[in-house]
Amino acid sequence: MEFEELQKIWIAGNQEPVYAINEKALHNRILSKRKSILHIANVSELLSIVINLCVGIFIGINFYQGKGVFFFYLLAAWMILTSAYVLYHRYRRLRTQPKFDRSLREDLQHAVATATYQVRLSQIMRLNIVPIALLSFLGILERGRSVWFAVGILVFYALTYMLGGWEHNIYRNKKRELELLQAKLEKE
Amino acid sequence: MTEQEQQQLFNQWLHQYKALFFKVIRAYAFTAMDRDDLFQEITLQAWRSIPSFQQKSSVSTWLYRISFNTAITWSHKARKHRNTDEMIENIEQVLVEKEVASPDDERLNWLYKEISYLDEVDRSITLLLLEGSSYKEIAVILGISESNVGVKVHRIKKALTLKSKKIETYGI
Repeated sequence: MEFEELQKIWIAGNQEPVYAINEKALHNRILSKRKSILHIANVSELLSIVINLCVGIFIGINFYQGKGVFFFYLLAAWMILTSAYVLYHRYRRLRTQPKFDRSLREDLQHAVATATYQVRLSQIMRLNIVPIALLSFLGILERGRSVWFAVGILVFYALTYMLGGWEHNIYRNKKRELELLQAKLEKE
Repeated sequence: MTEQEQQQLFNQWLHQYKALFFKVIRAYAFTAMDRDDLFQEITLQAWRSIPSFQQKSSVSTWLYRISFNTAITWSHKARKHRNTDEMIENIEQVLVEKEVASPDDERLNWLYKEISYLDEVDRSITLLLLEGSSYKEIAVILGISESNVGVKVHRIKKALTLKSKKIETYGI
């Protein structure tokens, strides 16, 4: 068969729609999916912002009112700065909200840029565990608590670091898939 | 644009261009559940994008663009990340398959099957080509050069006609 003949089969066969649409169900699904999309996009950033800010303020106030521990003040400042950093990048991300009148190539470029942002943010957040763990360890020792307690805290942070690596790999694989797709599109 | 106007336009386009959506979902999703899921994704994107439609291109070109972009991203999502609980809860299906009897059904099914073997990008080019889109239109929708489209089209046409000759030999 020549391609023109395949085209005729295509046009003739697609004359009659093969599906009926349940409009009420569709409308309900659109409304619920719309909510879930917003939720997924925001949740990891908002968690980073709120947790770092709340813990930072809590540590700062707690040690300001009690016995002043230098490393805990430093830790509080560090966590508040981390929260501000994520907030700033979230603001930048939201300024480049997806536009819909785009070609597939532009859409993929945007998806790759978003994936790059997620990979970078997850890597930074993972590396950020190191100074937080170190400052917590030193603060605990400065406060005169047992070494074993301080070691326990370090083990906790080590586990968090490992879990962070797992999350980072998910984003990295997603980015790699998108880049592969981009290469497929541009390949001649 | 008010939400009511957006909804009205959406309903109008849904009726007018439903065949376009169906062709894309049939080429990218292969089970009833996946077709339902992809249809919801595409219509959600179309609904969300209505306020940003600037009439730079025709509605059908614009909807093809949204449909392909969504379908390609959708097919790259790992299955394990889809919310299966949500699917089970959502017993009410959005797409209901109709009985359509056409003498070309078998050949059309073969064509859809062959399209499904192509990679995501080539699938979108094939659909547009079968719809009679020009190289220029395909290039605009995909955002690649016309010469790149030409190379891909040549390869796709050659592969499809070769395969069709094989089925002619064995009979369909």
